[in-house]
Order: sequence, then structure tokens, then C-alpha cells
Amino acid sequence: MSEAILKIRNIESFYGPIMAIRGVSLEVRPGQIVSILGANGAGKTTLMKTISGVMDPEKGTITFDGEEIQGSEPHKVVQKGIVHVPEGREVFPLLTVDENLSLGAYTATDKAQIERDRELVFSYFPILKERRGQEAGTLSGGQQQMLAIGRGLMANPRIMLLDEPSLGLSPLLVQEIFAILKRLNEEQNMTMMLVEQNASAALNLAHHGYVMEVGRIVMDGSAQALMASEDIQNFYLGVQEEGARENRRWKRKKTWR
Amino acid sequence: MDTRTLPAQTRINGVSFNATPGQRPVLVDGTTTIVGLFQKRCAELGNRTAHREKDFGIWKTYSWADYWQHAKWIGLALRKLGLQRGGVVSILSEDRKEWAYFDMGIQAVGGIASGVYTTDSANQLKYLVNDSDSRFLIVENEEQLDKFMQIEGEVPGLLNVIILEDEGLHDLDHPRCLMIDRLYEIGRQAERDEPDAFEAEIALARPEDVALLIYTSGTTGMPKGAMLTHENIMAAIEAGAHRLPTLPEDEQLCFLPLCHILERDVSIYFPLASKSTVNFAESPETVFANLQEVSPATFTAVPRVWEKIYSQVLIMAQEATPAGRAAFGMALKAGMKRAEYLIENKPVPAGVAANFWFWDRLVLRNLRRMLGMDKMRRGGTGAAPISPALLKWYWSIGVPLVEGYGMTETAGIATINTPEENRIGTIGKVVPGIEVRIADGGEIQVKGLNTFKGYWRNNEKTAETYTADGWLRTGDIGRVDAEGYVTITGRLKDIIITAGGKNITPAEIESRLKFSHYISDAVIIGDKRKYLTCLIMIDQENVEKFAQDRKVPFSNFASLCAAQEVKDLIAAEVAAVNKEFARVEQIKDFRLIDVLLTAEDEELTATMKLKRSFVEKKHAHLIEDMY
Repeated sequence: MSEAILKIRNIESFYGPIMAIRGVSLEVRPGQIVSILGANGAGKTTLMKTISGVMDPEKGTITFDGEEIQGSEPHKVVQKGIVHVPEGREVFPLLTVDENLSLGAYTATDKAQIERDRELVFSYFPILKERRGQEAGTLSGGQQQMLAIGRGLMANPRIMLLDEPSLGLSPLLVQEIFAILKRLNEEQNMTMMLVEQNASAALNLAHHGYVMEVGRIVMDGSAQALMASEDIQNFYLGVQEEGARENRRWKRKKTWR
Repeated sequence: MDTRTLPAQTRINGVSFNATPGQRPVLVDGTTTIVGLFQKRCAELGNRTAHREKDFGIWKTYSWADYWQHAKWIGLALRKLGLQRGGVVSILSEDRKEWAYFDMGIQAVGGIASGVYTTDSANQLKYLVNDSDSRFLIVENEEQLDKFMQIEGEVPGLLNVIILEDEGLHDLDHPRCLMIDRLYEIGRQAERDEPDAFEAEIALARPEDVALLIYTSGTTGMPKGAMLTHENIMAAIEAGAHRLPTLPEDEQLCFLPLCHILERDVSIYFPLASKSTVNFAESPETVFANLQEVSPATFTAVPRVWEKIYSQVLIMAQEATPAGRAAFGMALKAGMKRAEYLIENKPVPAGVAANFWFWDRLVLRNLRRMLGMDKMRRGGTGAAPISPALLKWYWSIGVPLVEGYGMTETAGIATINTPEENRIGTIGKVVPGIEVRIADGGEIQVKGLNTFKGYWRNNEKTAETYTADGWLRTGDIGRVDAEGYVTITGRLKDIIITAGGKNITPAEIESRLKFSHYISDAVIIGDKRKYLTCLIMIDQENVEKFAQDRKVPFSNFASLCAAQEVKDLIAAEVAAVNKEFARVEQIKDFRLIDVLLTAEDEELTATMKLKRSFVEKKHAHLIEDMY
């Protein structure tokens, strides 16, 4: 297999005195979709923010394409080809769809390339083309998510960090957006790192997965292996264990094997 | 009782005992049975606090009168439901006040209480219920109830299951199950019908009657139920009063499983004599927080717990400011100097004492307060070997920590160090009333009124455990020095005979390995093999910290164990231990157990020790890999 494009080694990140990430190491290979699962407060978003430069790690290294980037300014990180699609979309509500996309291309200078990228975005998200003159704040949640992903694509990234793209969307829309992500990965060979609460959607899409709990990775493996794990089924996929009794409420302890 | 033959009495912390320990009848405040003492205490202490338990975040108190009333209802109700004298009741619950209520209630009406670990599987429960021929099973909650549900058809002797927590079980309708409140109701009715029955039953108890069954973890074969009599426990109480003085105003924290003799003695039986208050930890996970809240006067734990606290302090110190770190280092040094004298029981020179006083004020006192050890008069450790360096460290921060030794078959107590008479590295002197000898082959044997009656329905095993002249074979190998301090060097049945014919006691090597902060447990392999090898369980917290500091990447526990740097680290620890042993006793190779074991795994005992036979079986591939 090819060398990892993104290598994270022993990262520790703090919010003041609180250690949010307590030593995380992981790898993403080119063309791979890596999914990070975990409950609220596990440190998933913090990890994303640390990679994209919004937060600086206290310890550890982040290597992108052979170059250490930990602690770099966010715009430098974007220029290197890492794009962060934040949780809760965060599109500019008063700007039009087109203007939002143009802002995504902020780091690009080649006008012709920008237009090609815009067409690419529209080919994956035709609805954005229809609404290109509309203010982003008037779009539906799903459309805003599409716009956020489209805006990310405009930077012509080498890897996309997607923070909970399914947040607040109907199951049907989640399916639709994940299908597009899958196509982007297959057709454009887009590398992705995906943080998700929706474990079943994430594992269906991803090649590899990591499970985070209170700032640490407790389990990792191929998406199939994770889906087969009893712990993942019980705690993330909502599979009820066969009980001796109906209405069983207790859950067994996690072992992460 | 004929008063003329009563032994002369002496008073220890306000409780009267036989002046000569080890004499029959064993009297504690004039009583000869656990339940007799229980009755006396409840009557005289009434509304004083006996127990504390945390309920939705608030510590609530429960009096000796509550203790009595609930035990009475339990005893009378079980009797009503069909419990006869000599019948067994199994208790499957985490530590809580009801555990004590049931223990006393069952024994008061002549029943025998038998604890089951909450980490045991349904299959193990089936074995224990059937082997003990239990009539009743007490389960804590729906999780434990489900174990019974799985084996419902295979435990024909069981009359009823009593459930302590009804959460999630409101719609439960099962002919054999009833809630604790219903049991109390039955008890209340029985009390009205026969107001004096409970007291009459207590009066029937004889010192030689079996009061409890404790199943020993059994590293080989199925667990065996050790029968302990009232007299055995009274003798343990007597010995405890001499060597582990506890005062009526003392606070204690109960968190080790009550199925284990150590916590049972310390938190249920000893307080009957000492009148101290027992605080139940919320759960095994919250021990450290609870410790801080309770700040007990005496605290008994297993080495793993003491190691954990030590690691936490170390990590805290490393993450402190440079000034804080320097101060901690200086304070520790001052403490260490003073500890040298204290441990030897020599007077501390004024200069050393003054230096310590200063650093104690500045640093150590706050540290102890943070840990919940500011009022701790004595810390105790047992059930597994502990590192001498660790003991010294606790002494240096101002916590007198002493090691003791006992086993289920000796009612939990046999030898112990005290803060006054302490020799680190030994398990202390034999307790008053008990004798110890070293037999041929080096086996430690003890004799006293505390040694058990035998294994439940297993005369063959009982006979194997006692010598012809009535001494209990502990199965441990060791020596006694001129002053009477006992040292354990190994386990008799664990002796390894290598292919070269050399006898090796693995325990000695294993405990040396375990003294490393990076090694949580180890099992030496080598029986009928050319050389010795070892399976090692690493200490997750400390090794993770090591990896983090050295920038060794890892994701989960398996990848941590697979990291070359971690292997090198452990190899260095093994090499250091090897230096202390002769060539044939040296470990040639080792493997790390790369699954994070939990108490539910059969390879671990409830006190988190590796079980040799299970480890050898489960990790046979790792072992074969080394030969």
C-alpha cells in the first residue's frame, strides 16, 4: 500500500488546563476515506481543528506529505491542500451560493482553474447551480451542507476533513450526501477524513476507522472489521444484544477487542 | 455459659477480649458468635451511624438500628420462605449496605452467606449456586438478574431470587423472583407474628457453626467453598484488634469485593467489634474520588490500587510547574530521610524531623489532603506482593502503609506488619493467638482458632490442606527470621521444574518483575522446558505515558504492545530483574499480552491477578512462539 499522506503522531491538545486529546496517533493514505467515531466530547472535532491549524497541539507531530505542519497557521494549512469542512456547515448566510464558492477558492489564483472547479462542484451538486444567485442563509440544511462541501472542493484540496456532514439532516439527505462523497472519492480519488456520530453511515462509506473515547483511540481497524465488532455494534450501531429477558436495559462493558 | 471457666479479660480500645489470645472460647465483649456480637452492638449503639452510602451524589447515613432492623426482616423473611439452619444463601452484588444486612440477617437465623463476584459469568454462577446448594440468591440489579435468567432451568435447588434494585424491572413477573421491599414486608409480618423469633435464632448459634462460605478463586480446577465458622471470624477479629487497632470514631472506605475475605473482615466483621463507620464506595471506578471525600482513618487496598495512586501522583508532579516539581522533589527527599528512621522504628533526629515538618507544611500535607489520606493513621495492603520501594514512598509522603498476609482459609489474617513493628519486604509477624512454622520443603504452616473448618462437601481437599498434626498448609513457601518476621518466596504448587531438573519458584521472579511500574503482572513459564520465559501484562497508564513522552505512535492497546520501543522498555526491565537471579532462573524471552484484560476475563482474578493455568491455556500460541 502507498505511503500515508497524513500522519499524526502522539498529538496532545488542550483547552486551557483540560486535555482534550491525550495522545492520538493515526494515518490516512492517499485515496482513502478514514472515519473517526466517538461520542460527544471524545475529542474528534478537537483533532480536526488541530490538524487544520485552528488549534495548536501541545505535543506531537502532524506530517502531511512528508512535511511537518503542526502549529501552522490555518491559511498555510489550506494552501498545502488540507481543507476543513466544519461542523454545522458555517456557510456565509448573507452571501450568495456563488460568492460562498468563490471564497472557497480564496487561495487559488488561476481564474480558469477556479471556473473549472466551480463546474466540478456543480456537476456533483446540481442544486447549487440552480440556486447560485440565492443567499446561502436561505438554503435548506442539506443544501447548506452541500455548499460547505462544495466550498471546500473549490480550494482544490488533497485531503478533506469533514466534521459531521450528517449533522441535523434527514436520513434520506444523509444517504444522498454520503453517496456524493463516495463518488468524489472514487471518481476524483479524493482523500477524506470523516468525523461522524452516525456510525453506520460512516462505516459504510469509509475504508478504515478509528474509535475515540475521552481523548484516546481505543480501537482501530478496517471498516468491515469494526462493523463486525460486538462493541461497535452495541455502542455505535445500536444493535441490541440478545438478552435473557425482554426489555433489557443494561449494557455490557466495553472491551474494544 | 459457666462463668467460672471464662478466660481473664483485657480491654483494647474499649472492647474486651481474652487476655491470652488464641484461647477458647474466643470472647469479644462477652460474645462468642458473629451474630451475638452484632446483636450486642446494635442494641448499645442504636442511632449511631454504622454505614454511609452515596445516593444521587449525597452521602446518606444509616444507623446501627437500621442495620439491626433490616437484618432482622431479612432473616425472618428468608426463614419464612424456607431457609433452614445450615442452608446457604448466595449474594451477587457490588458492595453496599444491603450486603452487610444480608450477611447478618442470613447468619442470625443460622444460614450460611456465600458471596459471588459481580464479574462472574452466568456459568460460574450456576456452578457456585449448585455447588453450595444455595436456597436463595440475592442479585443486585437487572444485569445480575439476567445471569440467573440464563441458568434458570439449571439451578433446581434455588427457591427464590431477591432483587435489590428495581430499576427497569417494574414489569417483572417471575414466580421465583421478588423485590427487596417485598422481602422486608414478609419480614415485618413475621416479626409481628413471632416477635422474639430472631433473637431466639441468634441464641442458637454456636461458635463451631459455619457462618460463611467463601469460594477461593482456584487457579487450578473449580473453585472450592471454604467454610468459616463463627469462631474463625471471632479469632480474626481478636487478632485484628491486637494488630490493626480501629477506633469507634474511625471512618473506613469499603470498595474491594465483599466476597473476598479481606474486605469482608475489614468492612463487616472488624467494625462489629471496633464500632467504626463504614462508607461504601459508589462503584469500583469512583474509589479515588470517594477516598478523597471520606478521608478514612484506615484504608485497606490491594497493591494495584496503591500503585495506581502512586502513578497518578507521579503524572501530576511531572505536569506541574518547574517550581512545583522542584518543591515536590525536595519534599519527597525530606520525607524519604525521615522514612528511613520510621521504618526501622528508630527515633527521628531533630534536624531530619524539622526539615520534614517544613516540607510537610509546604507540600506533603496538601498532597495527602488531595489524595484523601490526610487523616490516614494506617494504610494496609495484602492479597498480593507489593514493591518495597512503593511502601517506602508512601511512608515518605507521610502515609504509614503496612503489608499483611492472610488467606481465605485463615479467615483473612495470619501475619501482619504494623506501623510500630514493620519490616519492609516481609509480611510481618504472626498475629497474636496464631502460630506459624516452616515445614520441610519450606512451606509456611499456621495453626490457630482462625483456620477454617474445611472445604464445603469436599473432605478430600480438606484433608490435603491440613497436616496430620492439625496445621494448615498455606501452600506458600517462605522463611521466618530470628525476630519472627515472615517472608514469602513462592507458591508451592507453582514450582517449576525445568527440563534441566532445576526447581524454581516463579513467584519470587514474578514479584520482582511486578515491582516495575511498567509491568502490571507477569507469569513465568518453564515447567519441563529448556529455559524460562515470561508472559507480561503491561501497566497501561504508565506505558502509555512512556510512549507519549518518547513520541512512540500507538492507536490502541494492541499497537502499544507491538511498538518496538515498548518491547525494548520491557526487555530492559526484564534484564534488570535477571541480574538478581542465577543463570538458570533468568528469563530468556518474553511476550506481552496484547489484550487489555478486565475482571470479567477468566485469566484474571477479581483482585486483578493473572491466573497461571488460564493464562497458559489462553496464550499457548505466545508460549510456543518462544520455544
